[in-house]
Amino acid sequence: MSTDAIVLNNVFKSFKKTSKRNESTTMKTELVRLLKFQRRLVEPATHIEALKGIDLRIPQGSTVGIIGRNGSGKSTLLKLMTGIYSPTTGTIDVQGRISALLELGAGFHPDFTGRENILINGIILGMSRAELKERTPGIIEFAELGDFIDEPVRTYSSGMFMRLAFAVATHVDPDVLIVDEILAVGDEHFSRKSQTKMNEFRTSGKTIVLVTHDLATVQNWCSAAVWIDGGRVRMYGHSADVVNEYRRAVNAAENEGQKTGHSALDQPGLALPSRVQVEDKAPLGSVSAVRLKDGRGAAQQAFRADAPLTIEVDWSVREKAKVKFGLDLIASDGRLLLSTGWSGGELSGAGTARVELARLGLGGGVYELLLSAAGNDETVKNPFRVALHVAPTDGVGPLRPELRWSL
Amino acid sequence: MIRNLTELYQYRALLLALSMRELKARYRASVLGFFWTFLNPTLNMLVYVLVFGMVMRSAVPNYAYYLFTGLLPWIFFSSSLLGGTSSISDRKDLLTKVRFPAQVLPATVVLTNLINFLLSLPLLLGLGLFFGVTPTWHMVFLVPVLLVQTFFTLALTYLFAALNVAFRDLQHIVGNLVQMAFFLTPVLWDLKSAPAVGSLTREQSQQLLMHVNPMASVMAAWRDIFYEQRIPNWQPLLSVAAISLVLMWISSNVFERRREEFAELV
Repeated sequence: MSTDAIVLNNVFKSFKKTSKRNESTTMKTELVRLLKFQRRLVEPATHIEALKGIDLRIPQGSTVGIIGRNGSGKSTLLKLMTGIYSPTTGTIDVQGRISALLELGAGFHPDFTGRENILINGIILGMSRAELKERTPGIIEFAELGDFIDEPVRTYSSGMFMRLAFAVATHVDPDVLIVDEILAVGDEHFSRKSQTKMNEFRTSGKTIVLVTHDLATVQNWCSAAVWIDGGRVRMYGHSADVVNEYRRAVNAAENEGQKTGHSALDQPGLALPSRVQVEDKAPLGSVSAVRLKDGRGAAQQAFRADAPLTIEVDWSVREKAKVKFGLDLIASDGRLLLSTGWSGGELSGAGTARVELARLGLGGGVYELLLSAAGNDETVKNPFRVALHVAPTDGVGPLRPELRWSL
Repeated sequence: MIRNLTELYQYRALLLALSMRELKARYRASVLGFFWTFLNPTLNMLVYVLVFGMVMRSAVPNYAYYLFTGLLPWIFFSSSLLGGTSSISDRKDLLTKVRFPAQVLPATVVLTNLINFLLSLPLLLGLGLFFGVTPTWHMVFLVPVLLVQTFFTLALTYLFAALNVAFRDLQHIVGNLVQMAFFLTPVLWDLKSAPAVGSLTREQSQQLLMHVNPMASVMAAWRDIFYEQRIPNWQPLLSVAAISLVLMWISSNVFERRREEFAELV
């Protein structure tokens, strides 16, 4: 589980400014340049840097939302991950088959029937003929087109078109799925159906990267979120934290705009101002290690649902500060199950804090614990993450209270 | 170059599917449908026969058949080039939305036109029979000649397609270039009737044309097979093959160097 599906290493991407390009590059100027034996002029001023050094690791099986304002570089990032663009510098490694839902129905031909378009679109998306033959019935069934499947696509309603396209794209069976704002496909019924399909992807351990402006989706549905701002990773962490920080920054920029008449929001792609430059300072408090122990004080990897759990947190503060400890419990689908904190009072130096759960009370599965120690109300940016494995129980779901049946 | 061609082979399923679709799509909405494959070159030929055979009174015997033996391969060449030049720049939908091997697009155009050419061959043979020309065993040379022409066409189409992404001016000029090449290639006229140019003798200027215009050599080979019914002269063909190889090497390099910017510029 610890391997990464996508690794970006110091990725830069710059584009040539096309307006300048059209002025200066025609057949004639190129010919003149060639005749004069001049090398192509590289003018840094005519380039736009869309991404300015992205380092990102997306673990296998995670669901990551990418948020940020228009022009911040989200789509460029997706296109780089997909391989449509190649980075100017830096490297991108992707493990496994990648499928991108950047635009549904790429390569659909209006004069061809739904069935014919499944074939061509499937091949474009990387399926082999044999795979397609096998999956076509499933795709047709999923798209719910009935007899229309043998009609030309130009006769389809836009909803039918999208349904067919979504059905093909999700039947590619990728290891990594890249999605750009298209979860809401079709009517309520189909939209639910596609949500179910996406959930299926998530539970089967596929990696999903999603770009959206729908912050609620990111918060509820993604386990982690990346906030891209001005071509850089502004924040990467638990989705709720990132979404909150992003909202806060947009609010702050809007307030500033109301006061001063201009703000970073006026210019597309410009980075939002941080409150003060606290973000760049090292946090006061931090957690260096976390140990999970059973009732007898022995370190354990997996726990039973009804066993006690003790969490030991090694914390430290850079200077004397009011320390607040935080504990978040997250289910494998990214849902926040518990978020609780405890004020440890004025502390300095380092030490070990202990949280004792008399009874775990969780259903079988893998959970994630986020432990943090924050000084003087600073926002937690980098909590310590640890996986909690709970042995399977006879029920389903994350909740496992002490219960007794009787007649 | 090797990499380019092996990648093309890897994507053969895509290439085939796209070509089949192009073939089907071309005539799908029309009433006569597939018959246009035959009708188009026939009508084309009739126009030329009217102008050059009847009005200008060409001295070539069986002029309609003579014309057709050159016109069909020429249509394969010119349609590939005309369609191929904008094949990449026109497919923004594919290149910017999915990870798509760009070299398949020009190849699709060439393959589609190749298939069209093969499909119209029975028409050529039929016309030959009408003029009393029975096909001979020399037909087997169709394979090497076609290979050379396809390779040459593919190399040139690659180059034009790659360059056109950055220099869209090319797609406007390519039509005129092809038209000029059409008149510089012995399709309508017989090579032997080519006049002397400047201080050169007739033979020399004909030799010069064969050297500077690879399609002239290819055309001569087609005429040898279908019209004169003899073994084509292999030396000029071999030199065309060599030129194609060099051209393919250049095209592949240009293509490789430019393909990263395709998605950004289309």
